[in-house]
Amino acid sequence: MTACPSCGAGTPADAAFCEACGAELTPGAAAAGAPSGAPTQVVAAAATPVTSTTGDESPLDVGWTGALPRAKVTEPATPTAGAVGAAEPMAAAATAPAAGAVGAAEPMAAPEPAGPECQACHQGHLVDGYCDVCGAPPRDPRDHFTESPAPWVAGACDIGKRHTRNEDGLALLADPTPGTRAVLVVCDGVSNTTDSHIASLAAARAAREVLAAPLPQGMGTRESRVAALSSALGEAVKAADAAVEGAVPAGTENPPSSTVVAVVIDAGLAVVGNVGDSRAYWLPDVGEPRQLSTDDSWAGEMIRAGASRADAESGPRAHAITRWLGVDAPDDLTPHCADLDLDTPGWLLVCSDGLWNYCSEAMALRDLLASTLTGLGPAPVDLVAAAEALVTFANAQGGADNITVALARIDGSGSAHPPTKDTTHG
Amino acid sequence: MAEFTAEAFQNEFLPDGGTDVHAIVRFTARDTASGVAGATAIGSAGGADAAEIIIVDTSGSMGVNGIRQGVYAAGAAIQEILDGTWFAVIAGNHVGSLVYPRSPVAAMVRMDARTRAEALAAIQLFRADGGTAMGTWLSAARAVFSTVPQAGRRHAILLTDGANEHETPEQLSAAIAAATGVFQCDCRGVGDRWQVGEVRRIASALLGTVDLIPAPEHMAAEFAAMMRASMARGIANADLRVWAPQGAQVLFVRQVAPTLEELTARRAEVNALTGGYPTGAWSDESRDYHVAVRLPARSVGQEQLASRVQLVVGDQTVAQALVKATWSNDDALTTRIAPEVAAYTGRAELAAAIQDGLAAKAAGNDAEATSKLGRAVQLATQAGDDEMTSRLKKVVDIEDPEAGTVRLKKGVEKLDEMALDTASTKTSRVRR
Repeated sequence: MTACPSCGAGTPADAAFCEACGAELTPGAAAAGAPSGAPTQVVAAAATPVTSTTGDESPLDVGWTGALPRAKVTEPATPTAGAVGAAEPMAAAATAPAAGAVGAAEPMAAPEPAGPECQACHQGHLVDGYCDVCGAPPRDPRDHFTESPAPWVAGACDIGKRHTRNEDGLALLADPTPGTRAVLVVCDGVSNTTDSHIASLAAARAAREVLAAPLPQGMGTRESRVAALSSALGEAVKAADAAVEGAVPAGTENPPSSTVVAVVIDAGLAVVGNVGDSRAYWLPDVGEPRQLSTDDSWAGEMIRAGASRADAESGPRAHAITRWLGVDAPDDLTPHCADLDLDTPGWLLVCSDGLWNYCSEAMALRDLLASTLTGLGPAPVDLVAAAEALVTFANAQGGADNITVALARIDGSGSAHPPTKDTTHG
Repeated sequence: MAEFTAEAFQNEFLPDGGTDVHAIVRFTARDTASGVAGATAIGSAGGADAAEIIIVDTSGSMGVNGIRQGVYAAGAAIQEILDGTWFAVIAGNHVGSLVYPRSPVAAMVRMDARTRAEALAAIQLFRADGGTAMGTWLSAARAVFSTVPQAGRRHAILLTDGANEHETPEQLSAAIAAATGVFQCDCRGVGDRWQVGEVRRIASALLGTVDLIPAPEHMAAEFAAMMRASMARGIANADLRVWAPQGAQVLFVRQVAPTLEELTARRAEVNALTGGYPTGAWSDESRDYHVAVRLPARSVGQEQLASRVQLVVGDQTVAQALVKATWSNDDALTTRIAPEVAAYTGRAELAAAIQDGLAAKAAGNDAEATSKLGRAVQLATQAGDDEMTSRLKKVVDIEDPEAGTVRLKKGVEKLDEMALDTASTKTSRVRR
């Protein structure tokens, strides 16, 4: 048995994922794994979970970030400093052999080489694991990470500027051949629920794992392929829900909740499934851009009832979601599904409300993406840089919530079928 | 090679909105006699790069017996000075005079068999005469030390028997200021006519100790011990460096063991975020420092470095401790006080109560003296410091040690008061 780097639960040595939290157990994934060991926050469960707290964060949201065991991550390898906070109760056991002072038996080198730039103040550099100007520890890798399984698929997941914890999750998968096969999953953990930062990442990875398996093709016709992929998305949502439920021990007060939006790209066809208000957009280079996902939110209900998007999304309860994953989720977790033929060049953009809060309309989002790409310079486009640039945009607008952006570049060489209308299953 | 270690004792957990971080940082030096790599020019003492001056009070008040014991004491110290060490002897009354080497201008010589014999002969010429102006002694010592700029470690031992009556306090202050950073000085007062506060001012600024020698007969042993201790200091100069993050405020930096010494005002800027505090020469020993830093409060769950406390020899950081802050809403974590911090905080208050109480008593303010010394008794009792309690008992009658209720004793021995005063800043090491 080994300990999961994310939640600390025991896992079989050969396991690819943690049974407890869903974190990937491969060495490379550990850095991005959800931290843990955080004391649980007990807060009254909201009747309606809210995924965004734009401008009105509860003080309860200012919680433990569940910092990673930094000693292992950031301590300089050279045995220079004789530094130990000997009075640390939590570290006492771990450092027992070296309890108390660690001698600087060898003279310390001077001047010390500057470490990486501090991500908190951007003025100093990390020395001995802390910024030499503001004293901040290194940024928790959970607070900001990117994925890019292939050059045509990438994403960035960021804490934003106002939250103390990154409760968004991101999981991507892609075949090296552009347009052939990819999975993009974004989850947005509900603020103020226990360990939702663990739950959201576990959920995204659990959904990706389901969609990583060979996908059913149905009868091979377009309709049966859509139905089969929609069915697979339903299974992925169930797995994500199980991961959210399993992120904390049974009976935990105020258990975590999360949204999920997943896009499967398979041989010229894309199918989207979502529960909650995280979104997928189709932003073609030419033609009408549109939102593919269907918001399970108060605003979404209002829009479907005829209200303008601007009015609905600026209402006081705009971000109240009406369906979510988790222990206290509604019974029906069948995702809203939509499908799309990838026969024209364009972009699939999957995001949490940390981005779309600042750019909701599909047309505006396409313009934003276009100007962002222009800002990155001439082609070829670096999709990681593009996703990061959109995160930077959202942070520049205030970064009131966690921000996750995933992009897939579609070259349009897929199916010859024209894009079809959204079809909502369930 | 000399080896240094650093330990931090603190409770890093602050409550929501908490701003003040306290830590005791203990530095321990071993094998200092072998110096520090790359810092040989300022490293090993006791030999070619050390300089010692013996300053003996030869004012009229010393009398025949005092001078005789002063000669013994100076001789005992001379015997302890290692060959190769630069040295000189100064006789002090209302002026400071170079007794050895016999030279019309300031000078020092290296110790060897011949110079030792010459110095022992020269001190026989001590005569009790004139007044007391310790500032002139310090100025003379500074001039003598300035002739050996190559000496990395400069140390003097000063003996006095009386108050500084023949110069103004301002003149003494100016002489102390001029000598600060030039040499270290351990000071001893013999008898009961000297002023503890006055001599403490010299010793404190010049990074030395102050103590009482009850009778002239004890001087020789004390001088020999002081010089032996000085010869053992293999590290010439070490600086304490305290870094605090941008936006933070260093509330105070205080040496708390082996003696209490307020260092806050001695800060020399190393850079905008780092202050340097001279600590003088080190032998194989351990010293504790209390560092208090005020941070802008951060949100619960956040962690940061509150201070980086280093010991620097030459340009080398030889040891460092990190003082941290983590904000928590867990009362079980945030309400604890590290025992070392608590003990030394109480110890500093005890010293202040004793010194203030004795000063009030000397000024005839019996009410304040009773109150302060009562508080001292209470603190000593709480700390289980029986030695200090028994010293206090010689000055006050204790009615209720827990409540700190005392009466000033009648007919107190002046020496007992002085012993209490000099002992007030000596701290027993707080064990983990």
